[in-house]
Amino acid sequence: MVSFKKQVSKGSRFNQIYVPKELASKIEVGDEVEVRLLKKAVSLNYSYSIHKISPFKERIIKNIFSILQSIKSITNVCVVGSFLTKKIMYRDVDIVVITKEKNKGIEQKVYKRLLEDIELNFHVISLSKQELDKLLSICPLTRMMFQTYISNTPLDVKKNKRIDKKHIQFLLMMPIDLLTITLESRVFYDALRRLITIDVFLENKPMTTPKIHAQIEHIIGERTTKLLQENKLIDEAILKKLRIIMRKKINSIRKDITHGESKDSKSTNKTNGDSTAT
Amino acid sequence: MGKVKTLNQLTKLMAIALRHRIGARVNENELYVEKYARDAEIIMNEAEKVVEQFNWSRKDKQIIKNKLTKKLYQELKKKEFIHEDKFGLIDQEVKQALLEFGLWVE
Repeated sequence: MVSFKKQVSKGSRFNQIYVPKELASKIEVGDEVEVRLLKKAVSLNYSYSIHKISPFKERIIKNIFSILQSIKSITNVCVVGSFLTKKIMYRDVDIVVITKEKNKGIEQKVYKRLLEDIELNFHVISLSKQELDKLLSICPLTRMMFQTYISNTPLDVKKNKRIDKKHIQFLLMMPIDLLTITLESRVFYDALRRLITIDVFLENKPMTTPKIHAQIEHIIGERTTKLLQENKLIDEAILKKLRIIMRKKINSIRKDITHGESKDSKSTNKTNGDSTAT
Repeated sequence: MGKVKTLNQLTKLMAIALRHRIGARVNENELYVEKYARDAEIIMNEAEKVVEQFNWSRKDKQIIKNKLTKKLYQELKKKEFIHEDKFGLIDQEVKQALLEFGLWVE
């Protein structure tokens, strides 16, 4: 049986595969042929907030996507985090694998598979599509994470928002603890970033990592931001100032989530009332 | 800082860290289990620095165990949003944490 391998090319109306010239006499017009997908082309789908990354990083990401193609339970692979946003100071490559259903062992499998070919520090998280959609609607940090991503297939990032008071309270635990205990200065930076991300989420403002960072710089100043980011020792005066800022933010978030939840429940009651009346 | 003050600081830090650990264990969002657990570890690392400041006698260790258990209960009680299963994990987490620091006594 005659066979050949070709890449699908873009046509003006349909995508197409040309029969090679040398096989023109063997595969003729009217003959019946079978087309099978041998290897999916690796494409990079950028979120709106990234324009371009370096060719080196692109090659790594393409390699990641190509390796993970063979794991059938994965529907989507996303690279997120500092690998995309920082030039060289990234700690690891954060990968979110999305599966049709909950799949417990997949993280370890993906991690091992990637390490066989790419010697980088990977951090793998797996989520089912349902879990991801839920987190995108209730969680400021997840939403923030998916502002900047590159995925192997187009990803539908849900925009609807719901205030889950319990979840926000969980996120506030560490910043609240820092009002009474003193830890390394980098922890204060992370807590401030977390507070601002929650604030931005509650106020429906657009969020990106550079914007959040700029806001931190605006609030505590460039010098203090740098000290915290570099985990340098900070004096009592700075600590006091940080705690005042954090306390204000925490109180304003607490107000917002109580108000937001009551608004949510009012609208739910209204909806329920309407449906009963109908 | 004196031994009594240090002991109080230690049990405070450990109680907060263990509240995070337990919060991670009973949380329904798996994505956050790791995040909360990491928060717990940051605080435990700080507690470890405090542990190293003194040699703790058997009597001290007993006091630490009792104070920590009480403080952790209070910490968890304050955080109503953490699932009720939290109280069932107190003894287990206290024992494990004290074993980690070589402070466990029967």
